[in-house]
Amino acid sequence: MSLEFKNVSKRFGSVIATDDVSLTFEPGLIYGIIGPNGAGKSTLINMAAGSYSISSGSILLDGRPIEKLKKHEISLAGIARTYQNIRLFEQMSVMDNLEVCLYPRDVGGVWKEIFVPSYARAKREERQAHCRRLLEQFALEDAADWDANSLSYGRQRMLEIARALVREPRVLLLDEPAAGLNHGETLELKQRLAALRRPELIMIVVEHDMDLVMTLCDRVVVLHHGALLAMGTPAEVQANEQVQQAYLGTIDDIESIRAVAQSRKAERGLRVNADTVRH
Amino acid sequence: MNGGTAKPVTLGTKLIGFALIVAAIVLACSVPYMPNYYVRVLDSILIYILLGLGLNIVIGYAGLLDLGFVAFYAIGAYTYALLASPQMGIHLPFLVILPIACVLGVLAGILLGIPVLRLRGDYLAIVTLGFGEIIRVLINNADALTNGPKGIAAIHRIDIFGLTISTPKDVFWLLLVTCILVAIIVWRLQNSILGKAWMAIREDQDAAKGIGINTTNAKLAAFGISAMIGSIAGVIFSAFQRFVSPESFTFQESVLIVLIIVIGGIGNILGVIAGATMLILLPELLRDYAEFRMLLLGLLMAFLIIVRPHGLVPRSFTPDRLFAWMRFR
Repeated sequence: MSLEFKNVSKRFGSVIATDDVSLTFEPGLIYGIIGPNGAGKSTLINMAAGSYSISSGSILLDGRPIEKLKKHEISLAGIARTYQNIRLFEQMSVMDNLEVCLYPRDVGGVWKEIFVPSYARAKREERQAHCRRLLEQFALEDAADWDANSLSYGRQRMLEIARALVREPRVLLLDEPAAGLNHGETLELKQRLAALRRPELIMIVVEHDMDLVMTLCDRVVVLHHGALLAMGTPAEVQANEQVQQAYLGTIDDIESIRAVAQSRKAERGLRVNADTVRH
Repeated sequence: MNGGTAKPVTLGTKLIGFALIVAAIVLACSVPYMPNYYVRVLDSILIYILLGLGLNIVIGYAGLLDLGFVAFYAIGAYTYALLASPQMGIHLPFLVILPIACVLGVLAGILLGIPVLRLRGDYLAIVTLGFGEIIRVLINNADALTNGPKGIAAIHRIDIFGLTISTPKDVFWLLLVTCILVAIIVWRLQNSILGKAWMAIREDQDAAKGIGINTTNAKLAAFGISAMIGSIAGVIFSAFQRFVSPESFTFQESVLIVLIIVIGGIGNILGVIAGATMLILLPELLRDYAEFRMLLLGLLMAFLIIVRPHGLVPRSFTPDRLFAWMRFR
């Protein structure tokens, strides 16, 4: 059981976003993907989740190629994700945001739900009981009836992660989960993510927050210009000379990365206060 | 929708719900004593409620702007007209035609749904608008089948097990029962897992795919069910008017149904009822002002959209709330 990237490349016109990356992710471990802006971190997640097609190579889940599957089929295969910009079902209640994830399981019984009230009630209660456990896990149970967009930014993040977990995925892809969170919220996030560790779950975190990655993750993947630069334990990666030269470099550079991470947070913070743009 | 948090059921809500139900019952009970003109207006309101309930599935729940809904209305109306009139020499009973019209409606809905699956927003609106026009033009020109612009006359009355529905009052009861049944089914649909999936698609289609929703199937289901309701409305309309012609199915009808939903409150069954009542009643009430009628109607609508941009009925005021007084007394 593993998620495997085999010589995966992604080109946008003449830009090479991902350059011949081969990686294997094993269950039970938390992986961090780091790299400067434009290194192809999010591209990797978007390809695994089916949001982007891949230009060449193959992505295998348990040896089964998934790159040709449609997005919802990939989700059904057990890959769940969160987005860089939180994407909730904003005008639905917090509970509904989770409940709707059980659609693939229950859609066959829709007619029965409509014409047999007792069946509908039992189904709904069963679904809500399942989702309520997740809400409790993410301290959202008091907000179950609120609209998702009335939650604070930090709690929206938590809800998005909870939503990804409803169908008990085998691969959890988190795209910058700490972006826009303050220090306390980031700590809370780290604890909750660490608590999710399960022997059968592959968790992959793309993140700018070095402290989070280095303390949470078991393995760190370093990308540079779309190519794989290094992979290993946090200690190994920090000690890797290649990484230091190309990416971490001198102390100054670590500071500049921190600064970049901070400015991104500030940017997200602004976005939170802005009105939602609806199309 | 406003503020976002589910508000508790207050005494005020209960009183409003109670008053509305009592008013509806009193109105229904007084129908036998009303002059025919008033009953005809009520019939018209009920037909548009039916149409609104159907279109609301596509626009309100799934968030797909469909401007060609009148096509399904026309398909239902012409199905009945062709199968129960001297036009083709076929004389089937109402209860046989109804399921046929339902099937044809669903098929037409899916037929429209397939090419527009990838479209959203403006593009979807344009293509569905085109579809509505195509059906009308087709009916207008297929003289051999539909008698073209002259329309089909002498359509049979509805006959359900020997019970003939002929006067506007009879039609009122038929429409009332149909509306209540359809509203219950639509309400249960809205609360089912499919209803939630539609709303997820409305809120964020890509995220909906990301949680494993087959948006293709869910959208086709929305188009199909919505078209079926439109078709049912068409059947009753055709039997009630006893005459159909392409003139009844112009683009303006589609716009009117969309307006009913928008003015009433998008995605809310009670909104559809309020919207249909208002948009059918107002032009009747304004009849005395002759040439100013359309101007006044336009001004009133502009005023309403400014004062209540989310529609007459707030999204939080659901049928649950309407009946809240029954449960918590």
